[in-house]
Parts: sequence; C-alpha cells; structure tokens
Amino acid sequence: MKRRTFVGTAAALPAVGLLSGTARAQVKEIRMIESGGKSGESIEVGYIEPFTKKTGIKVIRESPNSLGKLRALVESGQTSTVLMELGSGTLVQAKNLKLIEPIDWAAVNPAPMFPEARNEYGFGYQYFSTIMAWRAGAKAPKNWAEFFDTKAFPGKRCLPDFPHYSLPFAVMATGVPADKLFPLDVETGFKKLNEIKKDIAVWWKAGAQPPQLMKDNEVQYVICWSGRVVGDPAFGYNFAGGMADLAYFSIVKGSKPEDRAAAYKLMYEMSLPANQAKAATVISYTGPSPELDALLPKDKLADFPSSKQNKSVQWFQNAEWWAANGEAVNKKWEAFKLSL
Amino acid sequence: MTRTTRLDGFGFIAPLLVLMVVAFNAPIVYMLGLAFWEKGRGFTLEHYEGLAEAPVYLRVLGNTMRIALIATIANVVIGYPLAHWMRGLGRRGRMIAVALVVLPFWVSILVRTYAWIVVLGNGGLVNRALQWSGLTDAPVSFLYNELGVTIGMANVLLPFLVLPLFAAMIRIDDRLLQAAASLGAPPRTIFWKVYFPLTLPALAAGALLVFILCLGFYVTPAILGGGRVPMISNLLDTLINQIPRWEQASAISTLLLIVTLAIFAAYRRIDRKASA
Repeated sequence: MKRRTFVGTAAALPAVGLLSGTARAQVKEIRMIESGGKSGESIEVGYIEPFTKKTGIKVIRESPNSLGKLRALVESGQTSTVLMELGSGTLVQAKNLKLIEPIDWAAVNPAPMFPEARNEYGFGYQYFSTIMAWRAGAKAPKNWAEFFDTKAFPGKRCLPDFPHYSLPFAVMATGVPADKLFPLDVETGFKKLNEIKKDIAVWWKAGAQPPQLMKDNEVQYVICWSGRVVGDPAFGYNFAGGMADLAYFSIVKGSKPEDRAAAYKLMYEMSLPANQAKAATVISYTGPSPELDALLPKDKLADFPSSKQNKSVQWFQNAEWWAANGEAVNKKWEAFKLSL
Repeated sequence: MTRTTRLDGFGFIAPLLVLMVVAFNAPIVYMLGLAFWEKGRGFTLEHYEGLAEAPVYLRVLGNTMRIALIATIANVVIGYPLAHWMRGLGRRGRMIAVALVVLPFWVSILVRTYAWIVVLGNGGLVNRALQWSGLTDAPVSFLYNELGVTIGMANVLLPFLVLPLFAAMIRIDDRLLQAAASLGAPPRTIFWKVYFPLTLPALAAGALLVFILCLGFYVTPAILGGGRVPMISNLLDTLINQIPRWEQASAISTLLLIVTLAIFAAYRRIDRKASA
C-alpha cells in the first residue's frame, strides 16, 4: 500500500465513524498489545470470548508489550492498534510521553471497581503481586528483614533485575515501614543489597526464571511475581509486605474512534466480576471488582493478589515516584550491577 | 573495456543495493541521527554529554569489550587446534567433522543456550560427574557469572572461527611443509615459520568476526549471565524498551559502531601489510 493512500484512508475513517452508528458496527476486529503467556490466555478466556459473542468483533492479541514498542507505534503514526497493556510505572511514563489518551469512563460505564483501578489514563484490569517465595523445605522468612538475613536464613537468592521491584524491599529490610517507603531512600536500598550481593546468584528479567531456578535448586529464596509460585507445593510464599500492583489497558494515541468504541465495550466486559472469575481460572491474578472474592473458590483465596486477606497486608507501588526518578535510579542500578 | 563491464554488473546488483540502502543503511543513519536531532528542539549534543556525565554506560561498554576479548581468545585456543586436526583427517573424516561443527547452526541459539543450563547447572551433568568422582564436594558455579557467559559465547560462535580457518588450512600445499622438512627444519620450526603464517590471515579474519559478534551478543549473556554480567546489548534493551530513551541508546550505539569500525580498520591495515 502506498503511504499516501494509507494516510488518506486513516484520516477519512474517523469521519465515517462519526457519521452513523452502522459504520461503527462495521468494525470487524480490534488489535491489542498485551503481556502474553498465561496472562494473554486469561484475557482471551475471561474477556474476549464474551465480548466477541456479544458484539461479533474479533480481538487480535500481540505481545510483548514494551514501552519502546508503544513509542514506535505512536511515532510512526500507526492507527491499527487501539489497546496497550501497561504496568503502573509505564502507564505514568506513557502519559508523560503523550503516547496514550484519557479513557472515556462514561462510555465504558463499568461495573463497580476498586478506586485505584479506575485511572484517568488506564483501566486497571489485573492485580498482581511481587512477593517473597522459597523452595519448599527452606526456613520460612516472615518479613523482609529476615528475607535479607543470609546468616539466619542461608541460601542463594534470586531477585528481580529491575530497580523498582528490588530496591523497595531492600529498604523495608532495614526497618522502614511500608507507609514511609516513598520517597524511596535509594542509598539505603543499595547499601542493603551490597551487604548480601554475594548471596544473590541470579538477577531475573523473565518472570519464569525464579520458579525454575528454585526447582533446579540453583536458588532457595526469591522475590517474584505471585502468579508464578502460588498453588505449587514445591514453593512456600508469603504475601505479607508484598507489593501489590496493577496492570492497565490504555488507549493508544492516534487510534481510530470506532476502534475505541469497541475497546470501551471490551473494558466493560473486563469490569464484570463473573468474567474476572473466569480469567482467574487461567492465572492467579485478579480483576478489579470488589465483589470478586465471593465468586472465587474459597480454598484459593490465599493465592490471589486482591483477595481481602492478601490485599490488606500488601502495599502499593508508587508509580509517580518511579516515573520522576526511574532513569536516575537506573543509572545507579547499572553501576551497582558492574560492582557484582 | 573494464569500465563497461563494471557498469554491466551494476545492473545486476542494483536491486540488492537499493534494498541495502532502504532497509539497512537508512535506518542506521536515522538511528545515528536520533542522538543529535530532537523534534521541536533541533540540533543537540545533550545525549553525548549525558554519556560523558554517566561513566557507568562507558564502563558497561568496557566490560563488554573485555568479555568479548576473553571469548575470542577462548575461541582461538579451542578453534585453531580443532581446525588443524580436521585438516589431518581423511576425506570422509573431514566431512563428518565439518558437519559436526556446522550442526549447532541448525539449532536455535536460545535452545543451545538453555542446554548449557542442563549441562553446567548445580544439578547438571558436569557437576554431578565431578561430585560423583569425588573431585569436588560442593557444586562448582559454572553458570550465572562471566565463566558461563564465556562458555556459552564460545560455543555459539566457534563455527565462525573454525570454518574460515579450516578452509585456509586445507588450501596449504603439503609440498611447502615437505620442502621445509627436507631442508632440515624441525616440526616446531615448520609450524611457526611456514604453517602458522599461512593461516594467520584466516585466523585474524575469523577472530575479528567472532569479536565483533561478541560485542553485540544479547541472548547468551542474558540467560547464562544471570543478570550479573552487564553487557552493552542488555543495557541498550533497557534504554530502548523500558525507559524508553532512544536518544541515549542511539548515542551509545554510535559509540559502539565507531569502536567496531576502528577495530575493523586496524585489521585491514594489518591484513594489507601482511599480504604486501
């Protein structure tokens, strides 16, 4: 296709979309970029299936969902992808870089949601936690001070190779309570990590690494995403002091209005507790409905990030602070990694 | 006459040339330009200043070069004797040996890299054998450090060194070696005075190729390094995909490109001197 024709068509489409409701119904498919793996499957089973059944619109999923990809999409002027999955931190970054647009919440008209999931720029569709876990049989730490105490709790560690997932826990290990964590005392965090760096065998980048490394007995203690370890008798885990976080869906800047209308309908499906319960059968991450607990299997409530018992013992990631300080901290992180 | 022949040939390579310029060279120029030109702000040197102010990025580059050098040396130490041994085999033996060297090319780098985890891990083949034989009591840490990265990179890149080297070695005329022997040179002298100099250009070319490939290696350090071996590609991934500071990444990439070209230029100089 010639670039000129392509741009012309793209410019004409919004006008058509506004003209009549029938034109809107002509949307046959929309595209989303999501994080892939089991999470993608859970979106398919929980939300896309009922959405397609009701509207006849197909949803094409793509992954992975790096912020760099979003920047490339927007800067190249594409209009085909309407939904982008973002983490709480990348959501703020994307907003600041003007890569996403506000959500028309009136158009979504969602079922009741937890307030933090209803962001001006993002639909918080999935709670996930970053928690401590250990190989079954290892001595169980109760808090972060114990987790970072390699003398009393001997064993190799595996920590996230992301400063925003590792540093806050290191600071908590020095006795700082969760509600006083931000602004984060970065120096204290690095000091703590320096103390035990010899016992940190692997810094992980992919969420699948920590459970595998524990099974291979390469490491005994990890900080990892809850969905990777819960429900597996090979691991022990503890939500206490863990970090709750939300994955969001945002509207890509420059996407077509009729695609957005369809995307809002998909978001509505995401807000229904019955659909969220279906998604939770695929992955142990949960949707934003306060009524979800009642629909989940009772014996599994301890595995879910947003169940009442777990939500109350965790704290929330401070995305605003990381958006403002992330790059500077990252330089220190690289320097720290060179000292290993 | 020569001139027209050259122009005739040009017609045939024009499609490739266009493809290279459009699909390869233009994006590179755009990428290099990113660091100098910002939308709405015009020309800037800010990102290079940022590089100078944050020596950590330069140190990662230095670390990358050091590991690339180690992996290249490891490749030469393993690859040269291997190629030499292959030269001495019969026709059939050579075929089998070449097939075995090329075989890893048919397997994805990712799979090969993960295979090393099975082989070298704490509960892996090597460690179990070592402990069973009583050589060690505790597992030896082969993985998740520079050793693991070096082993992995040497494995993946070995064919790049062995194949050109082997090709050069089988071209060496046996009569040259026999002539040296008939003049009374001991085997050691024959090797260093006749054989080795004849293989040197291929060795240098292969080693250079391996070194340059090492500089940009991503998968193997990411998996076998356990996040403890910072290399430039992994840093670039963070800057491009997570932060995303493409301008800074572009400045670092430019630097990497300059270093690579400088090494290549040095090689060309040596090569020309050697063949003159």
